[in-house]
Amino acid sequence: MTESVRRDDNLTSLIEINHLVKIFPPNVVALNDVSVDFQEGEIHAIVGENGAGKSTLMKILYGMIPADSGEILYRGKPIHFANPGEAIRSKIGMVHQEILLIPQYTVWENVILGMEPLGKFNRIHRDLARKQVQDRIDEFQFNLDPDAKVEDLSVAARQKVEILKLLYRDVTFLILDEPTAVLTPQEIPQLFDELRRLRNNGHTIAFISHHLDEVLELSDRISVLRKGKKVATIPASQTSESLLAEMMVGREVVFESIKETVRPGKLIFRLQNIRLQSPNKKKLLDDVNIEVKAGEIVGIAGVEGNGQLELVEVITGLATPDQGQLLINGVNLTKASILERRKYMAFVPQDRALMGSCLNASIKENLIMTHYKLNPEFTRHGHILNDKKSTEFAYEIREKFDIQLHSIEDEMKSLSGGNQQKVILGRELLLSAPFILLDQPTRGLDVGSIEYVHQQIIRMSKENRAILLLSSDLEELFRITDRILVLHRGQIVANLITNETNINEVGYLMLEGAAHGA
Amino acid sequence: MAHNLRNILINLAGILIAFLLGAVVMIFQGYNPLETYEALFGYSLGNTYSFMTVLKNSVPLILTGLSASVAFASGPVNLGQPGQLLMGALFATVGGLYVNLPSVLMIPFLLVSAMVGGALWSGIAGLLKRLFNMDEYITTLMMNMIADFFTYWAITYPFFEKNANHPQTPRITKNGWMPEIGDFNTNFLVTLIVFVIIWFIFYRTTNGYEWRISGKNSLFARLGGVEIEKNYMHVMLLTGALAGLAGGLIIMAGPHRFIKGLGANYAWDGIMVSMVANNGIVATLIYGIFFSILQTGALGMELITQVPSELITVLQAVIVLVVVASRGYFTLLLSKMMTKRKLKERSA
Amino acid sequence: MTIFIGLINGMISAATPILLSALGGALTYYAGIFNIAMEGMMLSGAFFAVLGSYYFGNWLIGMLFGILGALLIAGIFILFSVVLKVDEFVTGVGLNMFSVGLTTYLLRQIFKVKGAFTDPGIYSVPKIRLPFIEKIPFVGDIISDQNLIVWIAFIATLLVNYFVFKTQFGLRLRAAGYNRICLDTSGVSSNKIKTVSLLLCAVLCGFAGTYLSLGYVTLFSENMSAGRGWISLAAVILVSGNPIGIALVSLLFGLADGLGLYLQHIFPSQFTSMLPYIATLAALFFYSVNNKKKMEVKL
Repeated sequence: MTESVRRDDNLTSLIEINHLVKIFPPNVVALNDVSVDFQEGEIHAIVGENGAGKSTLMKILYGMIPADSGEILYRGKPIHFANPGEAIRSKIGMVHQEILLIPQYTVWENVILGMEPLGKFNRIHRDLARKQVQDRIDEFQFNLDPDAKVEDLSVAARQKVEILKLLYRDVTFLILDEPTAVLTPQEIPQLFDELRRLRNNGHTIAFISHHLDEVLELSDRISVLRKGKKVATIPASQTSESLLAEMMVGREVVFESIKETVRPGKLIFRLQNIRLQSPNKKKLLDDVNIEVKAGEIVGIAGVEGNGQLELVEVITGLATPDQGQLLINGVNLTKASILERRKYMAFVPQDRALMGSCLNASIKENLIMTHYKLNPEFTRHGHILNDKKSTEFAYEIREKFDIQLHSIEDEMKSLSGGNQQKVILGRELLLSAPFILLDQPTRGLDVGSIEYVHQQIIRMSKENRAILLLSSDLEELFRITDRILVLHRGQIVANLITNETNINEVGYLMLEGAAHGA
Repeated sequence: MAHNLRNILINLAGILIAFLLGAVVMIFQGYNPLETYEALFGYSLGNTYSFMTVLKNSVPLILTGLSASVAFASGPVNLGQPGQLLMGALFATVGGLYVNLPSVLMIPFLLVSAMVGGALWSGIAGLLKRLFNMDEYITTLMMNMIADFFTYWAITYPFFEKNANHPQTPRITKNGWMPEIGDFNTNFLVTLIVFVIIWFIFYRTTNGYEWRISGKNSLFARLGGVEIEKNYMHVMLLTGALAGLAGGLIIMAGPHRFIKGLGANYAWDGIMVSMVANNGIVATLIYGIFFSILQTGALGMELITQVPSELITVLQAVIVLVVVASRGYFTLLLSKMMTKRKLKERSA
Repeated sequence: MTIFIGLINGMISAATPILLSALGGALTYYAGIFNIAMEGMMLSGAFFAVLGSYYFGNWLIGMLFGILGALLIAGIFILFSVVLKVDEFVTGVGLNMFSVGLTTYLLRQIFKVKGAFTDPGIYSVPKIRLPFIEKIPFVGDIISDQNLIVWIAFIATLLVNYFVFKTQFGLRLRAAGYNRICLDTSGVSSNKIKTVSLLLCAVLCGFAGTYLSLGYVTLFSENMSAGRGWISLAAVILVSGNPIGIALVSLLFGLADGLGLYLQHIFPSQFTSMLPYIATLAALFFYSVNNKKKMEVKL
């Protein structure tokens, strides 16, 4: 529900962006003649799909990357920030999606970094610094302990520290890049309250997001970007989710489940009583039991940091559990080598660049990984690579997965994110493994690619594979899964049938670990 | 493919810039750069004898270069070529002093001994990493110094040639000397054979594939099922063997005995070769020969133009720095140029 | 007793160049730079120190030249790895070789000798006599009559410790190493911090090199840094840069070195020369095993 807009039309334009163009070599046009203005004292949301240009636009404003052409006016005067430092001096500050703090430093050290109060001989005036930070915390009611080490804080708290850092510098124009991406549904209202408080205090807020319901709830005006062009700027009161979605994508978008109910087959994947402890006795995985049958798509929901990483590591073999078993097709793989597991398991990791591919190797070389170890057709006499087979295979995947590429000998990094994910999917899904583990498979992809990936996953379930999907995108889970498990502090706290639950119930479980009202 | 051509051109540009810098230094010191470079290349390429010498001298550079290239491209930071070279040389020397077989058996025997010596030395560093997680770039560096002292002791006491004025061993049996065909020394032949074998292993086998991918992204390789630890040891042993072989061939094709100050410098030069070659196998061969041209020509350069041969050592280091820098810089430049062109296209 | 004092003096003597260059290495370590050029900086410092001392007949100028020599190497390092963004490892290795080549070449060109240059015209850095303290038995024999640069090393340890942990410079320095992007977006150029840390490292390595050629002995010989730069690198890594830790580790190596000299009567000199390097391996062993235990459960 939109708050009543308390503005008049005589608001001054604080920032005017005119005809901005930005090109990333070799041929990605990130911003194509974009013009937006920000009025003083408003909350202005910038929405668009992944890759629409939202972050790029703000990074240029903030001085992190240069524009190729266009101008920016600040209170009517043309400005150009060569680096974030200059932007901050003009009272413009940005909170990034990836929290940029020094984890080993305390809250107060992080806040004053770059603006330290000094004593003699360059010595930092610790007491003064702490006091100044505490004053700001109190002024904006942030509820933080200045002496806490950032690495010990929750993600939501770290975000507050980032905002605090900007406020310490008297920033009046705040840019927030996807701030709700790392929060649970229950943490978001608190953030919004803080933002409204800041706006009512005279601050201006630019808010980048692709979550339309949040944007409608919080903002005064909304600008929609699509594929590097601005589609429209419109008051929040004059639009709706479906209208915005249509503007973002250019066509109607469906928000419902696309999965047909399936009758599950035999039990393929089983995690039994898995326990994993850290050296200081913290329970990372606490008696985890997961079953996936043939044809089922099971989703795992949870706030990042509740055991997802450890779960993936135990399944893939990067870590061995203290107790418990992992069985696929009845074979005990608890302590098996990674190679052994790969005979039964396909794995699409969360991080394309770090785990899913080798960016500096050719596309062909990326595609034969694991296959050459399991399929003798790829080698001659055991150790010599069969180049003909590799090439055939690469073309086969290109066909089947409709990958846009120039040559299979090109480096992986020359492909777009969506095509890279297709390469990874192609390689993994063609492993003919009975079990598929997918970790955030559509993160960072545009709507078209997400659609494609979902179709492929559903196709796999029709082929009777067992699929386990970890995702922080609740919409995605509701779209394609049969069941949703919720992971909280290393425990599976719920095992729900997708059709019989809703986003709020799952969100609550993710944060509280128990059902609402329990 | 255009991407490969571009890399070659960038490398050449870097070398040219390095030579220009060298010319500047020469002018500054009152020498004539054109004459000097002419003397340099003239001496090494001017006649068959010189060129054969260039090839003979290129052997340790190529082999240690291959050792470094294979290692760096696969992950392990093996900086122990100097020590492995010395140990290989020692093993070959001792073998050549105490064993006598007909040439046809003796030469392979000594070559293998040299490889064993080098592999042993690098293997220790590899084990220290496997068992105790001790970073190999420090252990191999320390073991260089230890090998230096150890071989010094070995040629001063147990294997010392009596009545010699400097620490050295007696000459190894003639059956262990690398044969020469006219001015051509067969050590280069051995090197070429080794080069082909290494090339094949690195680019055409599953082992080489695993090494290359592990070197670029070891986590990805591990998740794909590659046995990283096993491959690590294989690479350490192989690269140690290559460096050891270099040492053995120095003995067998050169003074035929272990003298102090044998030429561990070659190993550092080999590391430089691999850097200029960006760890490419074929490029290592070519740059190994190129650096030998420079080093062999340096003596002639000094005879003719009085420019001290040590200048070549400086020039080599400058080449490394400039080539590597220009690689980064030109890639950046090309990206910028492509952006400009795209902008032009759009506004047209 | 005198043997014991001799051993301690030997320990301090050998530890000094390692301590100085390791302190320099610590600064670059905190800044997040992978700096293996300390060997080259030290060697260059050693050469230019002799050059300055010989030609100006003055040890102070020699010391100044030593620092300039190290700064030359650092300057190139900065140009390549900070400005041109060349890989720091390659830059370091390349510079070490450049330093060897350059000093050997200049040894030949300027002093017209190969191998080593020694001459009564080289003025060495003096020792400092403390008239009152030298009367104290045992302690006095050690503290009094140490080279000026030993004192510089001692003071440098305290200064580095203060600056890294108590000052604005130190806060920003460590931030550059922990999270460079965070520092940049906080309005402080991490490149500037890195540059400053490299320059300071050069100054310290310059002192180390000067000690080698104008303190320890009074001559320059080819490649006289003899791998000490590698040892100081190991020292930095062993204690994760902590200055006090570096001082202790340096003394340990110095002890191994001194012990080696002492044991030369019993064992062949080559084996005793190996001691510092074996000691480094041993220290690395304990460090790695300890770390491995910590990491095993972290996944």
